Amino acid sequence: MKKRYGYDKKALKGLGYTKFLTEVHERNKIIEAQPEEEIVSKYNANILAERLHPRAQYVKVAEVTELKDARRFKLVPDKERGTERLAFFRAGQYVTVRVIIGKTDEAGDGPTDTLKSGMSSGTESVMIRPYSLCSAPMSALGEAPFYEILVKKVPDGFVSSWILENWKPGSEAVLSGPLGNFYYQDLRDAEHVIAAAGGSGITPFLSMAGAVKDGTEKFKLTILYGCRTEADILLKQELDELASHDGIRVVYVLSDEEKTGYEHGFISAELIRKYADETDFSLFACGPAAMYDFLKKQAEALKLPRRLVRFEVSGGARNIAADPGFPKEKLGESYELKLLVHGEMIVTKCRAEETVLTAIERAGVHAPSECRSGECGFCRSRLISGEVYIPADTDKRRMADARYGWIHPCTSYPVSDLEIEVYPVDAV
Amino acid sequence: MKKYDVIVVGAGNGGLSAAAYLAKAGKKVLLLERHDLPGGCATSFVRGRFEFEASLHELCAMGDGKDGRRKGSAREILESYGMEVPGLFAKDAFRTICTDPAHPVDVVVPTGIQAYIDAIEEAVPGSRDAITGIMELSRMISDSVGWLQERNNEPKLYEYAELLYKYGDLLKVEPCSVSDICKRFGLPKEAEMIFESYWEYISADPDNMSFAVYAMMNYTYLNETPWVPLERSHALELEFDRAIRAFGGDIWYNTEVKRIEIRDNTVQGVTLTDGTFIPCRYVMSNLMPTTVFGHMVDEKEVPVRDRKLIRARKLGQSACTIYLGLDISPEELGIKEYNMFLYDSLNGHESYESHKSLDTHNDFCVTFLNNIVPGASPEGTCMIYFTTLYSADVFKDLKEEDYFAMKDKVARDTIEGFERAMGISIRGHIEEIVVALPVTFARYMGTPMGTIYGYEPDLWDGMFEREQSGHYLDHTVKGLRFCGGHATQMDGYSQAIGSGREQAIFMLEDMEAGR
Repeated sequence: MKKRYGYDKKALKGLGYTKFLTEVHERNKIIEAQPEEEIVSKYNANILAERLHPRAQYVKVAEVTELKDARRFKLVPDKERGTERLAFFRAGQYVTVRVIIGKTDEAGDGPTDTLKSGMSSGTESVMIRPYSLCSAPMSALGEAPFYEILVKKVPDGFVSSWILENWKPGSEAVLSGPLGNFYYQDLRDAEHVIAAAGGSGITPFLSMAGAVKDGTEKFKLTILYGCRTEADILLKQELDELASHDGIRVVYVLSDEEKTGYEHGFISAELIRKYADETDFSLFACGPAAMYDFLKKQAEALKLPRRLVRFEVSGGARNIAADPGFPKEKLGESYELKLLVHGEMIVTKCRAEETVLTAIERAGVHAPSECRSGECGFCRSRLISGEVYIPADTDKRRMADARYGWIHPCTSYPVSDLEIEVYPVDAV
Repeated sequence: MKKYDVIVVGAGNGGLSAAAYLAKAGKKVLLLERHDLPGGCATSFVRGRFEFEASLHELCAMGDGKDGRRKGSAREILESYGMEVPGLFAKDAFRTICTDPAHPVDVVVPTGIQAYIDAIEEAVPGSRDAITGIMELSRMISDSVGWLQERNNEPKLYEYAELLYKYGDLLKVEPCSVSDICKRFGLPKEAEMIFESYWEYISADPDNMSFAVYAMMNYTYLNETPWVPLERSHALELEFDRAIRAFGGDIWYNTEVKRIEIRDNTVQGVTLTDGTFIPCRYVMSNLMPTTVFGHMVDEKEVPVRDRKLIRARKLGQSACTIYLGLDISPEELGIKEYNMFLYDSLNGHESYESHKSLDTHNDFCVTFLNNIVPGASPEGTCMIYFTTLYSADVFKDLKEEDYFAMKDKVARDTIEGFERAMGISIRGHIEEIVVALPVTFARYMGTPMGTIYGYEPDLWDGMFEREQSGHYLDHTVKGLRFCGGHATQMDGYSQAIGSGREQAIFMLEDMEAGR
């Protein structure tokens, strides 16, 4: 017989077939010899995964602090509803708040049916909004864990208005686990962070300052807090107290008021340079869109590499009519929105000026969402037919999602009738 | 609610493949996935201006039958589902480095068998005869595995004569370990280290892994060339999603199965976390038996054999992955290769042992996607992935409050260690960094301990043993089958795809026979 394979058979000397032919038998013997014990399926990694990334955290409002056009809510675990502890987080992260609001049905275009899988009852809307945690991470641990979030009254803020009206001490709320990537990372960031905050954008930096104060984070933090007037500064007393600690500095920058002890104007390149202490620094920013537009130019003037500039996504509503790329002739249009949910079709309406996600929520679907800024992708849904407009700066879809027509409804606006498959999350 | 013939639990590559096969065969299939997208850990995520690949570094058995590449079995399966995924072939298999100063090795290993042999001879003069013999033996194994696959790994009794006549030596070497065969052929230590470089892909060390399994994978990579999807593995997963739907299957994301209902050793259906019960006689589980029988099934219904089998097995390795988006190009960084292995010992078994503790772990598997997919990230940038595997539960005592600090520590140690080993600097170029610990894998995959490799393919429980048990012996509950990287064909994405198809074939047979 011609040798088919060119290896020296001598290398296999002493090897026979028996082992192979009996290996199933041997495997059975090994299995058979085991004691019949309880199966361990959850290891420390699984327990930590559940603790750090809970599907839902049931909380109660413990305290309300009245602020100018805003309230701070202290939230504690609601043991009666099964939440024993709060998830630890990184200073700068956010949680989403899920509220169920009796339908206002302002557009008169509610869903056509009720009580379907993945939907709330026909008279309610499920709304989810992200809020940065302003308490320090360590306060989530220990004997008396709590989170703090700050809710500012914003014009047309449907959910924020509802929270401000309805949350009293003792009120129940449902939060997500901690989310987001707006936090300090010492391998990437400089040892000095200059935090540019505008209005309620101070919240993630309050948490960071708390973390620097108690040693959880080890970096130097300079907060440049932009407000119109002194009276608009939120939580000044706390900020001043934090600023008395090593490594934390707070500078108030008033745009509409000149006062001693305060900087006047905007958070400009010049001002940033003034507080930069001639060392490398990272620029972190959180605030309204107008501030971001201004700050981007300042970062360019400062010639900061991208790795040293981080802007928190705001999650706020956007004036799409002002978006230069938006097809203006579509303004004022209202489109039919067909939603495929667990095999059932729901028909509703969506206006050109609102995100598809808003319409899905209004229809009572338990739509997934987290960041509401296009970034996290949690709301991704399948566009079956129709066209949407996605502002380029919010299009953070995966390449393949874009090619296969998957969209992030939180930053998609309808420009035709649409048919979309949505994958609802559990009602909590 | 619509009635389904089969519910597939989990949209990893095994579940996707099974769902596609069953839907194509005309069955009404519902695929349920806990997360918002398919793929399991073969997925991607966006940070800033980078889209990172979560874990699929390269796919094996995707040869396209062109330019001297053999046609691969994974590609044939995908084609049978009508799937098309754009991708690229690697020029070289990998670069492997031994960082032990007493035994320096640094060699770029090309694809193609002859080039591979030449490269090893050049790096370690005097190894040509031994490595040539081993590659010929590997070719025999590769042919024999192809022969077995044509028979769905279950040759008829009368075909055993042909198996023995043509591939008798497979039966002899299959129970041998990789290092045993290397010794038998007299392969020099340095050359053995090069040959064994891929061992980390299989989750058992060269002393405890079947030579046949390793040789087959190694040979396939060299012969068919590693393949990388152009738009990350998410494109592969979306193509699965499209194909399943095209065959009439339904897919629900964000839907978690809480329990698989079994009564009198027979599947009744599944219950979702929102309480919905979906009746169904057949469930294909892409989840591991440990998870299913550990907390998703009525304890009384857990078969004794499964209880014991789970006890007998060791969980596969868990991983830490560090994803970096750098504001420097690969050229400026001076790295040309796509895939690199750095081991601080020539001996794979010693490396495996050192992976049992954070203090002794000093090895790196490093991937530079830009070196195979040009433009994978914007100009002047690149992405690096470090994958570190652990052969024990090194995070068993980690506390919640130390979690983030641990992530940072692992990342720092890895990056600084790699910088030292390579004499390069990346610290000042990090624009994006994401660190995944086994906790992260546990979060996204729900696997026990966050394992990414299922069960360790020990010599008593390797692919051949599992294949011979996966049809009947390990099928213990009527209507319930398992597929994925933890199943018969072992870990690896191509294997998971193959396993999904295989178990779907068996399930169709179960249905016909009323089993």
